[in-house]
Amino acid sequence: MNEHCTPLQADAEILENHEYRPWLFRMRLAAPAIASKIRPGQFVMIRSAWGNDPLLGRPLAVYDVDWDAAGQAVSLEVIYQIFGRGTKRLSQMTPGESVRIWGPLGHSFDEIPDARRIWFVAGGIGYTPFLALAKWWMGSSPYGGKTVRMDSTASINMIYGARSSDMIPPLADFRDSGIDLQLCTDDGSAGFSGRVTDLMTENWSSLPEEARPDLVVTCGPEPMLAAVSAWAGERQVRCLVSLENQMACGFGACFSCVAPIRQADGSTDLKRVCLEGPIFDAADVAWGHR
Amino acid sequence: MTARPNDTNAIVDLSVRLGRLSLRNPILVASGTFGYAREMVPFVPLADLGGIVPKTVTARPRAGNPTPRIVETSAGMLNAIGLDNDGLDHFLEHHLPWLRTVGTSIFVNIAGEDIDQFVAMATQVGRAEGVAAVELNISCPNVSHGLDLGVDPASIRTLVKRVREVCPHPIVAKLTPNVTDIVVPARAAFDAGADAVSLVNTFKGMAVNWRKRRPILANDIGGLSGPAIKPLALRMVWEVHRALPELPIIGIGGISNVDDVLEFLVAGASAVQVGTATFADPSVSGRLVDELADALKAEGVADVKSVIGTLRSNRG
Ligand SMILES: Cc1cc2nc3c(=O)[nH]c(=O)nc-3n(C[C@H](O)[C@H](O)[C@H](O)COP(=O)(O)OP(=O)(O)OC[C@H]3O[C@@H](n4cnc5c(N)ncnc54)[C@H](O)[C@@H]3O)c2cc1C
Ligand SMILES: Cc1cc2nc3c(=O)[nH]c(=O)nc-3n(C[C@H](O)[C@H](O)[C@H](O)COP(=O)(O)O)c2cc1C
Ligand code: FES
Repeated sequence: MNEHCTPLQADAEILENHEYRPWLFRMRLAAPAIASKIRPGQFVMIRSAWGNDPLLGRPLAVYDVDWDAAGQAVSLEVIYQIFGRGTKRLSQMTPGESVRIWGPLGHSFDEIPDARRIWFVAGGIGYTPFLALAKWWMGSSPYGGKTVRMDSTASINMIYGARSSDMIPPLADFRDSGIDLQLCTDDGSAGFSGRVTDLMTENWSSLPEEARPDLVVTCGPEPMLAAVSAWAGERQVRCLVSLENQMACGFGACFSCVAPIRQADGSTDLKRVCLEGPIFDAADVAWGHR
Repeated sequence: MTARPNDTNAIVDLSVRLGRLSLRNPILVASGTFGYAREMVPFVPLADLGGIVPKTVTARPRAGNPTPRIVETSAGMLNAIGLDNDGLDHFLEHHLPWLRTVGTSIFVNIAGEDIDQFVAMATQVGRAEGVAAVELNISCPNVSHGLDLGVDPASIRTLVKRVREVCPHPIVAKLTPNVTDIVVPARAAFDAGADAVSLVNTFKGMAVNWRKRRPILANDIGGLSGPAIKPLALRMVWEVHRALPELPIIGIGGISNVDDVLEFLVAGASAVQVGTATFADPSVSGRLVDELADALKAEGVADVKSVIGTLRSNRG
């Protein structure tokens, strides 16, 4: 097990629990040990430090890490959408209260992408892993104590899709990080009108061959992931997906989070997303095979 | 090591005995909630535990059920994992050799499709070294055995007797709570020579999405675990202990803190298994060993055995 894959458990004080929208919050946690190890693509499990209900932790991607002037990681940030009881409970908590957190969990993205023209494709709440990833690959933040930098001629473009304009989260952090961001909505109320794959196709057609992507990284609702994977497959572009399966433990003990993954011998095996993912090569995911 | 020193002048003896089985302390971890223990190394000092029960193994590899396999419920969860595992040969080759090096008692939890298959598996496990006990999972609600072994006392008797003949390791029968009277299967296991019974596996339950008119689990029904079932499990431990005071019991069901542990011990359990609590608090089992010693010391108790089964009825 790599050092950055060895998780820790901590009770962490909430430093900030900011309401962006009534359904969208950003939480900053005093969890320096986890913050100093975690890398883009990894996640943590979070629940209240007290009580039995809601019982299970909720998996949340690392959104960002904050470092002090000396370069020590001090806090960890997550962004969460209120979906059910667990995230509702988190939204009711106030600075000074504690959450129980364990992580870093899962595998991170590779340190250096083997690609030069990278497209991030996110839908719904699936945008949360991409800020850290962009900052890491562009050499601006040393996640996991590791500074990496992709080739200076490499570029990252991001497409974000939502159902309608009122479902678009604040994306200023992304613009500030220097990546090129395009929006699209299913109903056309903001940005391009259509689905992410429609916008991808339009971009693709308008680009000369040498400017087309050689890597697509995607995270969001499963139907979108399947569509983006198929899109990339048809064009023979390598595609990585970050899966959001339901999880009870996050560390491999319960076998609840399995996804059908193709094996080298052509068979399909159910793999634990929390341990072997959450990032998979899209070509290996047997979509629709439960 | 049979005792944990807490300070220089007070030592609490945490060791317990269940039939032929001796454990360094009564805190074990439950099958299916601790993976194959490797996954838990970051969170729990494994050698501190009284014992480890890895996930159930079946004779041949099983893919398990489709997803969703779990759903959270009030202070608990339903699971229908469906005994996803790589089979007994793989377990004996890949997991057991490592588990043996961990430094605590290793149980092997097996499930057969019928008595003959159980016996064949127990024969194979019986030849393996470094096994503290065999736990017979005759209680999984998520796989159909055709004949429902765990609810039929005659089958339980036959099974335990035959396993005893082929397997030298201590035998623990893990019972299902989905019966009218838990004493009936417990007595069958006891009569047939089980060293102990594990009480209990999960309670059958379901969760519904009424808008979709669908059960939430892909398997429709699943097994309920977690704090929600603790009072039910505690009652069953007490009933079995009162009816069969000579039968050692491993208490299981919603145990998440040291008070829960002691409630099961006084009700008649000689040891406990921590299950679902590990999901919500990954390091809890390791901490409970220390907390149990501290709690006993605070009560002036020098030997955990002296609290087992000390509960007295309010009804005389
Ligand atoms: C690796 C990973 C990273 C994630 N990152 C983020 C993130 O950064 N921000 C964010 O808002 N959400 C993220 N999610 C999804 C988030 O975990 C769920 O929305 C959340 O668990 C729902 O919990 P709840 O209490 O709101 O809903 P409830 O309905 O109360 O949840 C019940 C159970 O279902 C599980 N569950 C329900 N929906 C999902 C889902 N979509 N994915 C996984 N489990 C689910 C819960 O964890 C819980 O165990 C991520 C999921 C995964 C697997
Ligand atoms: C996800 C999950 C998987 C389980 N898998 C098994 C299993 O493979 N074999 C078994 O004997 N019990 C299994 N159990 C049952 C537990 O070992 C335990 O008996 C039960 O959960 C009650 O204890 P708890 O409330 O502390 O979890 C499983 C329980 C859960 C929650
Ligand atoms: S969430 Fe428990 S094994 Fe993946």
